[in-house]
Amino acid sequence: MTMATTVPAESTATSKAGQSDTILSVRDLRTQFFTRDGVVRAVDGISFDLNRGETLCIVGESGCGKSVTALSIMGLIPQRAGRIVGGTINFEGTELTTQTEAEMRKIRGNRISMIFQEPMTSLNPVLTVGAQIAESLSIHQGLDRRAARDRAIDMLALVRIADPKRRAGEYPHQLSGGMRQRVMIAIALACNPQVLVADEPTTALDVTIQAQILNLMLELKDRLGTAIILITHDLGVVAETAQRVIVMYAGRTVEEAPVEELLRNPKHPYTRGLIGSIPRRRTAAQRGRPRTRLQEITGLVPSLREEIPGCAFAPRCGFAVERCQLERPTLDIHGASHRAACWEVARVTAVPQ
Amino acid sequence: MTAYILRRLIATIPVMIVVALFVFFLLHLTPGDPAAVIAGDDASPAEIEGIRRKLGLDRPVWEQFGVYIWNLLHGDLGTSIFSNLPVMTLVKQRLEPSLVLAVATLVVAVAFAIPMGVVAAWKADTTIDRVVMGFSVLGFAVPVFLVGYLLIYVFAIQLRWLPVQGYRPLSEGIVGTLRSIALPAFALGMAYMALIARITRASMLEVLSEDYIRTAHAKGVATRSVLLRHALKNAAVPIVTVIGIGLALLISGVVITETVFNIPGLGRLTVDAILKRDYPIIQGLIILFAGAKVLVNLLIDISYTFFDPRIRQ
Amino acid sequence: MASTTAGLPVTTTRPRSNAVWTWVRRNKTIVGGSLILLALLAIALLAPWLAGDPLQFEPTNRLKRPSDQFWFGTDQFGRDVYSRVIYGTRISLIIGFSVAVVATFIGLVIGVLCGFYKAVDAVMMRVMDGMMAIPAILLAIALITLMKASLMIVVIAIAIPEIPRVARLVRSVVLSVRSRPYIEAAISSGTRNGRIMVRHILPNTVAPLIVQATYVCASAILTEAGLSFLGAGTPPEIPSWGNVISLGRTFFQIAPWIIFFPGILLAITVLAINLVGDGLRDSLDPRISRRM
Repeated sequence: MTMATTVPAESTATSKAGQSDTILSVRDLRTQFFTRDGVVRAVDGISFDLNRGETLCIVGESGCGKSVTALSIMGLIPQRAGRIVGGTINFEGTELTTQTEAEMRKIRGNRISMIFQEPMTSLNPVLTVGAQIAESLSIHQGLDRRAARDRAIDMLALVRIADPKRRAGEYPHQLSGGMRQRVMIAIALACNPQVLVADEPTTALDVTIQAQILNLMLELKDRLGTAIILITHDLGVVAETAQRVIVMYAGRTVEEAPVEELLRNPKHPYTRGLIGSIPRRRTAAQRGRPRTRLQEITGLVPSLREEIPGCAFAPRCGFAVERCQLERPTLDIHGASHRAACWEVARVTAVPQ
Repeated sequence: MTAYILRRLIATIPVMIVVALFVFFLLHLTPGDPAAVIAGDDASPAEIEGIRRKLGLDRPVWEQFGVYIWNLLHGDLGTSIFSNLPVMTLVKQRLEPSLVLAVATLVVAVAFAIPMGVVAAWKADTTIDRVVMGFSVLGFAVPVFLVGYLLIYVFAIQLRWLPVQGYRPLSEGIVGTLRSIALPAFALGMAYMALIARITRASMLEVLSEDYIRTAHAKGVATRSVLLRHALKNAAVPIVTVIGIGLALLISGVVITETVFNIPGLGRLTVDAILKRDYPIIQGLIILFAGAKVLVNLLIDISYTFFDPRIRQ
Repeated sequence: MASTTAGLPVTTTRPRSNAVWTWVRRNKTIVGGSLILLALLAIALLAPWLAGDPLQFEPTNRLKRPSDQFWFGTDQFGRDVYSRVIYGTRISLIIGFSVAVVATFIGLVIGVLCGFYKAVDAVMMRVMDGMMAIPAILLAIALITLMKASLMIVVIAIAIPEIPRVARLVRSVVLSVRSRPYIEAAISSGTRNGRIMVRHILPNTVAPLIVQATYVCASAILTEAGLSFLGAGTPPEIPSWGNVISLGRTFFQIAPWIIFFPGILLAITVLAINLVGDGLRDSLDPRISRRM
């Protein structure tokens, strides 16, 4: 029970961009689950800002707290299992962590929406897709049955479902996975939300459908001016969609940078490992030279049940020194809007990727 | 959907055939002489012979079987040994109270049990949940007659709110009927309520952990609507199934409840038949109750299509 | 042991007794139900020492209220209700246990045969469907009407309607075990049916059968009481709970104790058996345990 755990200084993580530019601001968010075997620190002090109309990607392995971060923003942490134990989530001047359930309900699906990973199970099997889209509209915009239904059909057309009138009367089991995810997008965007949280929206889909769905999301984002938090473990998706990227590890942010900068010039050993583990086609210049082996990150993700005093990645890190085990690294600025939580950035970046 | 209903309908035919065969062979394969047992210990040989003739046991088995099936197909359930009246006539005289009791019990049980189960699932692991679960464990264990006599003791004898026993037919006014049927319906409904509350809770718990419930919350749907519109309809199929299974238990319970509350229904007919060992009546009642149960199951199967669009195809 | 950790309770109990306690705490229902059942069993065995003669008529003591002399009062023949209820425990336990054994055994045999032989399955399952359509109590009444009343006939009459439920359960277990890859491999490589049955299938039926048997036992006790209550059960000279209650019917308004005492004991017995059943089900099948 050491009290010396270093909390990343709030100011360093805060974007100094103009207040009006930021729509969602998360500070030192901590979400924990209480199990029979102890406390799980799923999110352990995350801070970030989301700007209007921006696409922010959160990347990390499964279990790193990406989804829990999303659910925390939505206020959807299962009540008896877990709880936000610290930090703030500021949405356009409203503090979400202290909102009542009734107040959150007015925000959810209306001003902040969410798309889930599993389109096959995320739609209610006994309600028509039209009714499921119309429901958001009648809850948040007070539309009557007729109007909500007409708008629902418009939304189906917007997400490019052919013959939307007929489809609106169909049940989820009559639609393909790709179409169901389009319906989920239609539900999420029905009320023109300012923020869309998309939790691995394409992971469960066929590779050929993935690009279609991503492009659809990006296009609608531009058209409606929605800011997107896109949660993914796929750096390919990140490269194609994001403006800014946050890399998460063991419930913490390890690196944050604009997408080009992050991919070209990663500063945290974990980010470097992630990028190194993607199979890549060799460029013309590399041909003839011996193949570089695909890198892997050795070791295991640490248990989130125990408090980690130092850097969570230290046990798996080739650069780790004693300080890494003892003192939690702060998320410091290393170049223009590039932050990394690593004590040894200088040594890490000295080695070519 | 028509094909589905047709399939279900056809599936009931072998069941009813088995029931008919079973009842017929029960009489013929029973060890000992049923005519002698029915006639009683101090019956004369002539009396036994008379009963044997009435049961048709004096004729060849194949002939008995032919007559039995022929009569069944014409809606003839046989003739009482003692009153010489057709069983169908006796049944018609006694049908109303039993039917009213069964419907009232169904309504009472469903009306109380489903909200109980929904709330217990929603507030799982809280005190409310434990109270509901405690009730459902207790409701299974306490026999109908104990609940019945307790209700009579408290609400009829001590508080004098309701009549002690008896039945007022619908023709004398529905208020009287409802007053006379209220305690029996609750007594009979207790175990039934326990059963439905339990399955409602279990089914709701399962549904509430589904992804689409999270979607509903993410849409900003109010809790009440999440529970009733999104969850309950998905949880309905097992609940409806158990309501159907329970209805069969209800049929057994009706006999005992009518005895406790002195209601002149099919249960009373059964008890009278037991006392006189009037086997044709019991045989007819078995076929009738089995038919009712098969019909209920058919209705339940058809109701699935209403709750689950996936069955409609 | 490090006891410096502030705020954490330090257990000094030895590990073994600790494990027992954990088990007891996690299986409260089994332990509670079993304790009640043991007490009832003791009552049944010790009846001659605990109670007087349940059959003794005492016309001067008709319909006496519960008192120091007659703890549960007397019935219309002046018999001691307490003695009759104590002896009734024997009847109920015997019937519950016998029915559970008979129904489980026959159901097991039918279920296993159905699971193995398609032809048997096709016929037997139709028969079972038909039997399940007949209300249990009416089927029992029909059997009892046609035969001379005795305890054995009651057991058989109650057991028969319970068989289809057991058979269906066993059949479903057999079918699901049979479709597992390693059993299919064993079958296709020519292992004999008997061997597969004994080695792989029977062990898998044990847990669900035990649970089912407890429910059959509870339901049999209730059915016997119901049948006796209607006058179609245990011969009236035997003091079963149902018979005691049945006699109390006529004098219910002036002598409710004749019904309440055996009724309450009946409820406690069934409750105890169900608690054991629920507890066993939860601990044997963790999948359902969180649900039910």
